[in-house]
Amino acid sequence: MTPLITLKGVNKHYGDYHALRDIDLEIGEGEFFSLLGPSGCGKTTLLRTIAGFESVSNGLVTIGGKDMAGVPANLRPTNMVFQSYAIFPHLSVAENVAFGLRKRSDLDTKAKQTLVEDALDMVGLDGYGKRAAHALSGGQRQRVALARALILKPKVLLLDEPLSALDKKMREQMQVELMRLQRHVGITFILVTHDQEEALVMSDRIAVMFEGRIGQLADAETLYRRPRNRQVADFIGKMNFLDVVVRSSNDPVDLEISGLGRVTISPDQVPEPVTIGKAIVGIRPETLSLLFDGETTDLRLIDGVVDEVVYYGDMTYYDVRVQGVEKPLNIAMKNVIGRPVLDVGAATRVVWDERSLVLLN
Amino acid sequence: MWRRLTATEGGQGLLMVSPPLIYALALLAVPLGAILLFSFWTQDFMAVDTTFTLNNYREIAEKPIYGALLQRSLFVAGCVTIVTVIVAFPVAYFVSFHVRPERKSLWLFLITIPFWTSYLIRVFLWKVILGYNGVINTGLINLGLIEEPLTFILYNVNAVIITLAHAFAPFAILPIFVALEKIDRSLLEASQDLGESKFMTFLRVTLPLSMPGVVAAVLIVFIPTIGDYVTPELMGGAGGKLIANMIQTQFLALNNAPLGAALAIVAMLSVSAISLVFVLLNRRWLKGRS
Ligand SMILES: Nc1ncnc2c1ncn2[C@@H]1O[C@H](COP(=O)(O)OP(=O)(O)O)[C@@H](O)[C@H]1O
Ligand SMILES: [Mg+2]
Repeated sequence: MTPLITLKGVNKHYGDYHALRDIDLEIGEGEFFSLLGPSGCGKTTLLRTIAGFESVSNGLVTIGGKDMAGVPANLRPTNMVFQSYAIFPHLSVAENVAFGLRKRSDLDTKAKQTLVEDALDMVGLDGYGKRAAHALSGGQRQRVALARALILKPKVLLLDEPLSALDKKMREQMQVELMRLQRHVGITFILVTHDQEEALVMSDRIAVMFEGRIGQLADAETLYRRPRNRQVADFIGKMNFLDVVVRSSNDPVDLEISGLGRVTISPDQVPEPVTIGKAIVGIRPETLSLLFDGETTDLRLIDGVVDEVVYYGDMTYYDVRVQGVEKPLNIAMKNVIGRPVLDVGAATRVVWDERSLVLLN
Repeated sequence: MWRRLTATEGGQGLLMVSPPLIYALALLAVPLGAILLFSFWTQDFMAVDTTFTLNNYREIAEKPIYGALLQRSLFVAGCVTIVTVIVAFPVAYFVSFHVRPERKSLWLFLITIPFWTSYLIRVFLWKVILGYNGVINTGLINLGLIEEPLTFILYNVNAVIITLAHAFAPFAILPIFVALEKIDRSLLEASQDLGESKFMTFLRVTLPLSMPGVVAAVLIVFIPTIGDYVTPELMGGAGGKLIANMIQTQFLALNNAPLGAALAIVAMLSVSAISLVFVLLNRRWLKGRS
């Protein structure tokens, strides 16, 4: 990976408020990179320091090897799709898309027109050029914003929660379209989102942020299967946490899990070094299952009582109380043929496997 | 009947607007109608001859003094409008873009302070400032910049323009300020993001989006200045009199109410025509901005 954007020790203060803390990042050429985190964690601030709308309090931002300190937004090789889309209401769709072409003296009117048409074509808005911008739907505005930015062939496209204003169907459709578009143009995309599913689906790599800091930077599968700490594990998907005592932290790692007993796991399941003593393990709900009557398993079993049932149609989520485990275990079951939905209070058996554990500090 | 009126939404609306409607009819439509009627009558020494005639309008068309006065009024109003809007825009821009949000209402409050004193007193204050022995002249003489007091700043058209521009400035600042406030700030960032400098962003985004406020300001200043009577009377001297002063002279000094009424109608029609053309020209251009 050749890094296109690097951030070294970037800090941002708003008065007393420390919005970005020691951010170190390298984002590659052609990468689809996401900044994920709860609202207020500093994602937009980080994006705006790359775009040039915010200066950094200290630290270094480079794009394409050039130090960006003191370079204003209009001179950076980045373009942005704003959260509100920021479509110019006094211009037509075509005029919006052509906005950034004014300074391109190498192009005549005809060539610019062709570029605009191609850009509108690319985002699926061919024939919309003459429309007034204020008469567009949310999804169409977003496409105009995309075309307006991509027509300038930036090195980096910055997207600030571009899908959050759309309804669910439209959002899923645009996720796929954005991924296809990114592969098509080959430009680096940096996406800001608070929606973990969106980040997991779309990105090559994801930086999970909490309170101005990067909690973990990894690809989607690593983030999901090997979260570095409880905060990341909690934010991405659902996770059961169990108390554990570490007996040996060598290979194999020897654990005493409260309620489940003694197991050994591989060091691969320990993302961050742990010491002998108290720790926690995480288990994803879909790696646990209930053993229904007539089914058998070679895996480990433990008795439990159904505490709560949430029926989703394709899935049923159970909370199952197990003796010795502090909180009920959250278990996701696919509703396949012949599998009944259990009632609250029913006795059941939980199937588990130490290979799906992850040991956290 | 009352029931029917209060039951429907339209009826309720009618009830709500009827007091101001009656008020407007009594104080606007009736006097206007009276003026219109008068303009077709003639003055016959002490009595008014009520036979219908266009003689007043004929006289206005034939005697050059009236046309010249109307022209001067339009010119002065145009100058006042341009000066006021040009001065008001930076003030509105500053308050909207460079004043912290919690301080904006304080600034607007300060801008309206001149209204705490009466219009007449403000006009007299300008007399004190611009007069032969006024603040400006004594100041410049004491500084040694001039030998003799400047005379082109009082009792002429310049003085009228300065005084009116100051009087109407807040009326221009407020609509422009509102239009600037309504501009989504992310549009300005988007423009810079797309490669434009701050200055080009102002020309390509801020200015066109503030046009509704500028148009409102132009109309608000232009329409009343044409009919202004106090300022030209006090500041204009002989050469700075406007159409309103002539109307007053006809009604009172010359005791020719019908001719005064006809002049008033002609002035009103000119203002309406010019404003209408201005609004129509802007309509196409302002489409979609609000
Ligand atoms: N201009 C600013 N002045 C003061 N504080 C700000 C400013 N911009 C953002 N912040 C603060 O910085 C924090 C991070 O904001 P932001 O980057 O917008 O979060 P996110 O996009 O992750 O929701 C927030 O607590 C916000 O209140
Ligand atoms: Mg944000």
